[in-house]
Amino acid sequence: MANVIGSTIIIEGEISGDEDLIIQGTVKGKIALKESLIVERSGVVEADIDTRNVEISGQVTGNIHSSERVEIKSEGRMTGDIKAPRILIADGAKFKGNVDME
Amino acid sequence: MPETNTIIGETILIRGNLQGDEDLTVRGRVEGTINLKRTLIIEQSGVVKAEVSVNNAVISGVVVGNVTASDSVEITQSGRMVGDIHAPRVIIVEGAKFKGRVDMGELPQSRAVETPAARKVFAPVKSAPQPVRPQAAPTRAAPPPPASKAALKEEDETKIVPARKKIVVKKR
Amino acid sequence: MALEPPGVIGKGISIKGNLSGEGDLIIEGTVEGQISLKNHLTIEETGVVRADIEAERLTIKGEMNGNISASDRVAVLANAKVVGDIKAPVVVIEDGAGFRGSIDMEVPLPEDL
Repeated sequence: MANVIGSTIIIEGEISGDEDLIIQGTVKGKIALKESLIVERSGVVEADIDTRNVEISGQVTGNIHSSERVEIKSEGRMTGDIKAPRILIADGAKFKGNVDME
Repeated sequence: MPETNTIIGETILIRGNLQGDEDLTVRGRVEGTINLKRTLIIEQSGVVKAEVSVNNAVISGVVVGNVTASDSVEITQSGRMVGDIHAPRVIIVEGAKFKGRVDMGELPQSRAVETPAARKVFAPVKSAPQPVRPQAAPTRAAPPPPASKAALKEEDETKIVPARKKIVVKKR
Repeated sequence: MALEPPGVIGKGISIKGNLSGEGDLIIEGTVEGQISLKNHLTIEETGVVRADIEAERLTIKGEMNGNISASDRVAVLANAKVVGDIKAPVVVIEDGAGFRGSIDMEVPLPEDL
């Protein structure tokens, strides 16, 4: 069962944990997870992200450090640097920043 | 209880300000402030160290901080709270642990008011000897209670009745 | 242990002073002062108590204004109106009860709080 931050929720601060997290709302600050982060279509994230996987269908502004993979889906929009061994940017996605696949 | 959409799992820690227009279930830890226009559910594993402002709060975990609710606050059997509660309805269930203030707002006017008649009985009288033990005043001490309650029966002199069925407080 | 029937302070009775004893007590009238009981005190719906109370157990259905110290349990039932501080290991507040004051139960908290 995943954690969900609903669409009307706004969090300003730091989120950390050992589970998957689905963001449908707004998070500003920092996110550090040992598992996966999914930013859904309504999600808005202004944060530095440090997780195992990231899947972006919403809006992300910040730097991502992922130990496995980052995927920006066709509705996703991201501004920031990505550091991850695997990266997938779908057709239609918007991305601006640096990519480092080590 | 149906599950809320927003769930903060057991291993999740949030430090900061959280606000929203939906119900929220906390199984992990939140430190900072929580502002919800709906219901906050803190499950048994949940720990909230925050100033909380919500419509309703159901506390089955640990809360350290003040909780203000526009509707109700309930501390359930596994709930533990240290802080003040401001809410019109407060329910503290058997097994709950609480330390702090409770303010439900203005409580309705008290029924019994010290009537001049009652006061007169205890005014010092020089001629009569001072009673050693407190005396029962056989006067009608209180004016009639508000219309919603049944009218008090007029009694001339009531005696303390020793023999009576023992009242048993039902356990939940 | 022989169970004595509880004392009753009837509806028309008004007491000003100190009440103490070892038996159970039911208050339907008015008490002003101090109450110290070794057992169970019940303030009925018609009861009005303006007193500091020390008892083993306390059940409040009426009106109470004062500080409470109980060694076992305090229950504030629906439609009761209580203003004062309560110190007891167990305090129960029913939905519909009116309460203003502080409550002090022993609260075990995780070490890091």
